[in-house]
Amino acid sequence: MKFRMRHADRIVGVFTLLAFVLLVGVLILMGANQRWFSKNYTYFAQFPTAGSVQPGTAILHKGFQVGTIRRVSLNEAGSVDAEFSIQDSYIHLMRTHSLLELVTLPLGLGSQLLLHAGRSLEPLPEESFVPTAATVEGQDLIELELVDIPPKDDTITRLLSNVNPLLEATSKTVTTLNRTLTELNRALAGQSEGPLGDIISDASAAVARLPPTLDGINEMVVEARDSAVALLDSANAIADNLETMSASFADPTGLVPKLLDPKGSLATFLDDKNALYNRVMTMLVEAERSVRSLREISASLSAEMPKLAVVLEEGKTALVSAQDVLEGLKNNPLLKGGITEREEQDSLYSSMREGAFE
Amino acid sequence: MIERIGASVREKASSFLYALAFFGRVIDRSLRFFRRRQVGYKVLVFQILFTGVEALLVNAVMAMAIGAAIIVIGSSLLPQFGQSRLMYDIMVIVITKELGPLLTAFIVIARSGTAIATELAGMVVGHEIEAYISVGVDPISFLVVPRVLGMVSSLVLLSIYFNLFGLLGSFLVVQLIKPIAFAEYFQSLLAALAPGDILSGMAKSLVFGVIVSTVASYQGFSVGRASTEIPVAGIKAVGQSFVLCIFADVLITLAQYA
Repeated sequence: MKFRMRHADRIVGVFTLLAFVLLVGVLILMGANQRWFSKNYTYFAQFPTAGSVQPGTAILHKGFQVGTIRRVSLNEAGSVDAEFSIQDSYIHLMRTHSLLELVTLPLGLGSQLLLHAGRSLEPLPEESFVPTAATVEGQDLIELELVDIPPKDDTITRLLSNVNPLLEATSKTVTTLNRTLTELNRALAGQSEGPLGDIISDASAAVARLPPTLDGINEMVVEARDSAVALLDSANAIADNLETMSASFADPTGLVPKLLDPKGSLATFLDDKNALYNRVMTMLVEAERSVRSLREISASLSAEMPKLAVVLEEGKTALVSAQDVLEGLKNNPLLKGGITEREEQDSLYSSMREGAFE
Repeated sequence: MIERIGASVREKASSFLYALAFFGRVIDRSLRFFRRRQVGYKVLVFQILFTGVEALLVNAVMAMAIGAAIIVIGSSLLPQFGQSRLMYDIMVIVITKELGPLLTAFIVIARSGTAIATELAGMVVGHEIEAYISVGVDPISFLVVPRVLGMVSSLVLLSIYFNLFGLLGSFLVVQLIKPIAFAEYFQSLLAALAPGDILSGMAKSLVFGVIVSTVASYQGFSVGRASTEIPVAGIKAVGQSFVLCIFADVLITLAQYA
């Protein structure tokens, strides 16, 4: 009789027992590996849709599974409430400002639910709410750099992840531009109460004050011209007199008699009842007034200059933003390089302010 | 012609009802088998020896070949899409849930299904069944039930070995071609494997075992008096077993994913 026939019972026994032992061993290893008997910490999140978030969906952190979606339900507000658990060995990742991000993989390969740890050191209590990257709260956390988001390792994912900030930046620029234009319109319409409105109002008031000032300047110029004409007439007369006098001085025979003559020019000049002196004094007073007015105008323009500079700077910034938007739209960020990075220039406003406060 | 169609339908219906009754009787006698602890126990042990132990080598080679192929292809192709971890899910689905039980059933059909059908058919042709009946021995209890239980047990055990060789043995094969880290492989595999996957594979093996053994026994008993009918019974047993196993596999898979 063959060996296997003689020992059939033993061979079959070993065959059966070994199979069950190996099966139990694999089950034990599975239990240890899948943490069947370990504590998990429960948290909550909200998603716009349950399409990619189902019970059993793995929550990954840097490629490692750190938790699982346990339950999803549709709430009255139309959002999807999700309850998820985090393994106790990864509970240190659950800190204040921790964030969930649902990433759609390229080529229709589904999606991944990623956990990003917050940069705060404060641990997040169990059963807390964890925001998602798609929400406003999540966006704020990302913008404020309160979340530690590792770079994406997949080229297409990285490209797609770069497109979103570009689009968001473009959207924000357009929004800012729109807001600026609205504010500018309101300011120009006199409806704004903000700093720009004040500046515009002040500028408007300054401009409104300019015509009377210019009228004053014109008047002063006219007066100065008249005075100058009169002064020139007087100067001409004096020059004539001086010429005559010098001619008289040239003739020594008749100079002294003429000077000493009671009806001579010197006597006449000294005996004009201060008419010439008064005339000269009047001209000096008017000239002093003109100079004072010019100084006041100059001071007023100097006071308004920073505000005008701010207006010009704001307008310049708005134009630069508009140029970026138009360039971004022209380049089509999905296919080309997006908005060209612009070199920073020193602000005229800040430099003037610095100069003013030095 | 109508008469021939009618006769054929009557014959098919009669055969179907007979097969159902045969299956019911096999199940009934199988449930009583362990309580009565008849001499059929020895037949059961030999059946497991022939069907399970002797098929282990073929089973292991096939499992390791398929597992190694999946690892090599998966580790080359899937990282290009950033989906390396899918390799373990694919291995579990293919080896544990789908192909493992089906390929094991095919091996058993080819080796033991034909053997049971031709053996029982030979006994019928040789009037041995009549002899058993004449001495008061129920041929189903003594001949069919040990074979059914032995084949079901063997298929369940072989599916466990198929998983082990396919998931772990294939790793050793891959080390010769494309070495990968054992710890990473083992942990990823255990993470992808779920108890439901193992239970699903074992449930399929159990159903396939019942189908193959019952069909083989039925075809073995269905011969007449000619010895030429013996190989025909074997061929029919193989063909029907293949079709019914695939049909059952589809139904079980649909039930799982529905």
